[in-house]
Amino acid sequence: MLELQNVGFRYGRGQDILREVSFRLQRGAFSFLTGPSGAGKTTLLRLLFLALRPTSGRIHLFGEDVTRLPRTALPPVRRRVGVVFQEFRLLDHLTTFDNVALPLRVQGQGPADYSRDVMDLLDWVGLKKQAHAYPPVLSGGEKQRAAIARAVIAKPELLLADEPTGNVDPVLARRLIHLFAELNRLGTTVLLATHDQGLFKQVRAPVLHLQDGTLRTL
Amino acid sequence: MADRKPGPVIPREAASLRTMTATMAVMCYLACLAIGALILINRAVDNWARGLSQEVTVQVREIEARDIDADVSAVISLLKETPGVTGAEDIGREAAEKLLEPWLGSEGLDALPVPRIIRVAVDQARPPDFESLAADLKQVSPGASLDTHRRWEDELTRMAGTLTALSVLILLLISGSAVAMVIFATRAVLDANRQTVDVLHLVGAEDAYIARAINRRFLATGLWSGGLGVLLALLTFFILGNAGLPQADGLASASRSLFYVPGASVWLVPLALLSVPVVGTMLALVTSRITLLRMLRTLP
Ligand SMILES: Nc1ncnc2c1ncn2[C@@H]1O[C@H](COP(=O)(O)OP(=O)(O)O)[C@@H](O)[C@H]1O
Ligand SMILES: [Mg+2]
Repeated sequence: MLELQNVGFRYGRGQDILREVSFRLQRGAFSFLTGPSGAGKTTLLRLLFLALRPTSGRIHLFGEDVTRLPRTALPPVRRRVGVVFQEFRLLDHLTTFDNVALPLRVQGQGPADYSRDVMDLLDWVGLKKQAHAYPPVLSGGEKQRAAIARAVIAKPELLLADEPTGNVDPVLARRLIHLFAELNRLGTTVLLATHDQGLFKQVRAPVLHLQDGTLRTL
Repeated sequence: MADRKPGPVIPREAASLRTMTATMAVMCYLACLAIGALILINRAVDNWARGLSQEVTVQVREIEARDIDADVSAVISLLKETPGVTGAEDIGREAAEKLLEPWLGSEGLDALPVPRIIRVAVDQARPPDFESLAADLKQVSPGASLDTHRRWEDELTRMAGTLTALSVLILLLISGSAVAMVIFATRAVLDANRQTVDVLHLVGAEDAYIARAINRRFLATGLWSGGLGVLLALLTFFILGNAGLPQADGLASASRSLFYVPGASVWLVPLALLSVPVVGTMLALVTSRITLLRMLRTLP
């Protein structure tokens, strides 16, 4: 499903953020990615959703070497990956509904195709009432759930979530973790980056620890 | 409610596009004026040239030791026998003097040898062979010369050619500036929407999809500004044609003639003007699409 081989990365001519990082994620796995703030968790995830290219090493995704994929080949791969961004990256000029529908829209689907699915999903994450509200009026927790809904609407094979509980209270955090566990149970491979140790107690899953540019499995 | 029209992927409000609408409208307006001028020039030259080629004259100069009256009648009878000539008439000494008056004044003309002028009517369908006619005339009277106004016609045609080239050059310059401006506006719109474009890429959008979404903004802009430009141009022609400014008399009748022409070409001008927003919009769409696809390729 996902394999990194000796991946190294640095921004421009800066210092190494990642050094010789190797790990493998089986299909259907659930894994945490942890480490102190600034350790490079977000950077690692960016490599995985192909927003960055590694300085060295190789990345395999869905059985394909994506290390040096040409630009035109990126969209089909990205459509198989759902991403929850640390800063949500919702589009302020679109309603919650339209934000969640975006991944389907860019694939050419129209409202007739996706309306039901989007509404069902909004219902599932408890945002049905906010469907036609715009992100600026949503609370942190609501934005978080909208971002998660957008990440999973297209039924991705791999879900990457960057601090998905960073902006919510512990009760909602627990609910969201269970939401990810539920998605995982339905077949999605999940990699969840967090610096919140408390989450590990809720789902029994391997923890990848990133520190000083190197990765260890706890 | 569920199936209502989704919001635009690229937000509608874009200050850079508003500037572009205004500038584009001005350019379309100028293009319309250039096209109007182009049509007017060609039509006027056509009319003048036609008038000129219908009129042929023979001048008979006085030559010492020859009787000019005899020469004139000999020339007239030769003309009347020439196939293709339908009439020849001496305009008379007074009329000839009148023609010279503006240059020489009315006094003392009696003392001068004023050439006699014979107006020749020509069958437009089968005009005579002017070259051999000129030679024949010289035989009959050494002082006779044929003036077919061909020189004037050539002059006019050359001038019309120059003005036409100038109008086309102006149109090309306007188009070039429009292209440059569309490129700038495209960049501005893309820059203003970088965050959105990044998100679209990350959720799996292809460049072509994003380009289409942004391009849609340019369609409306192009049509709006083009329509505005044409409207302003029509208004200008109308005002010029009806304002009755004495110093712009020629311009007024010319502007009127743009629209009130007898015959089948009434639609020529409106169609030519309407082509401006159409061509302008297509230019904007193609330019912004090419620019977008090139710029998107440089993004991560
Ligand atoms: N776009 C960037 N350009 C340069 N340096 C960056 C950029 N993004 C992150 N960094 C640096 O990379 C390091 C890792 O950052 P990040 O991956 O965001 O860590 P984490 O998500 O674990 O907190 C930090 O030192 C940060 O300053
Ligand atoms: Mg981070």
